[in-house]
Amino acid sequence: MAPNQTVSRSTAAGFGRFLIAIYALFAIAATSRSVVQIATKFHEAPVAYALSSVSAVVYIIATLSLATSKAHSRQLATVTITFELVGVLAVGTLSLVMPDAFPQASVWSGFGSGYGFIPLILPILGLWWLWRTGRNGDAEH
Amino acid sequence: MCVSLVMAVWALVDLIRGRSSGRPFVIGVGVFEAFMALFVIGGVVQAFTTTHDFAKVEFCGYLLGCLVIAPLAAWWNRGDSSRAACAIYSVIFLLMPVLILRVQQVWSGSYGA
Repeated sequence: MAPNQTVSRSTAAGFGRFLIAIYALFAIAATSRSVVQIATKFHEAPVAYALSSVSAVVYIIATLSLATSKAHSRQLATVTITFELVGVLAVGTLSLVMPDAFPQASVWSGFGSGYGFIPLILPILGLWWLWRTGRNGDAEH
Repeated sequence: MCVSLVMAVWALVDLIRGRSSGRPFVIGVGVFEAFMALFVIGGVVQAFTTTHDFAKVEFCGYLLGCLVIAPLAAWWNRGDSSRAACAIYSVIFLLMPVLILRVQQVWSGSYGA
C-alpha cells in the first residue's frame, strides 16, 4: 500500500454499531412522535411539530447512511449529521430566545433537554466517528 | 421493570468484562420479551375495554415500542459478542423502564406526545 493512500474504515463496525443503534432509537422515537403530533394536533404548534418531523427524517437518513457502506454513504452521513448539529444548535437557541414560537417542545428544543441532551451529544459523536473512521488506515493500528 | 434492570446490570457486567455472555443472555432477552408480551397484551386489552379517558394512540405507540425494541436490538447484535453489543443492550434495558413509566404516565393522563 502506498504510504499516503487513505483507507476508510466502515462506519458500521465497532463503536459505529453502538452509534447506529442509538440513531435508530432516535429515528423510531422521533418518527413516532412526529406522526402522532402531526396527525392529532398540528394546529397547536406547527413550527415545533414540523421540526419534529424534520428531525425524524434526519435521524432516519443518518441511521441508514452510517449503516450502509455504499460509495456516497459517508458523504451523505457527514452532510446529514452536520445538518443535525446545526439544527440542534439553532432550534435549541431559538427555543430559549423565542419560547413563544415553541409552545410545544420538539426533539431539538432546549438542545434536546427532554431527551437528556442526547440530541446534542449524538451529532458530535457522529461527526467524530466519521472523522476517525475516515483517517488513514495506518493510524488505526 | 425489575427484569429489565437485571438485564441492564447483566449487560453492563458483560460490557466491563469486554465480551457478551452469548446464548444465556439471548435466552434472557427471550424471557424479558415474554414478560413484555404479557404486559402489552394486558395494556391493549385494558385500553380497549376501559371507559377511562386517555391518549390511546400514544399509549399503544409506547406499548409497541416496549414490544419491538429488544428484539430489534437482538437482531442488530446477532453474531456480535463485542463491547458494542453489550453497550447496546445496556442502553436498551435501561431505556425499557423509562418506556414503561411513560406508558403509565399516558394511562394516568399526565403525559402526551
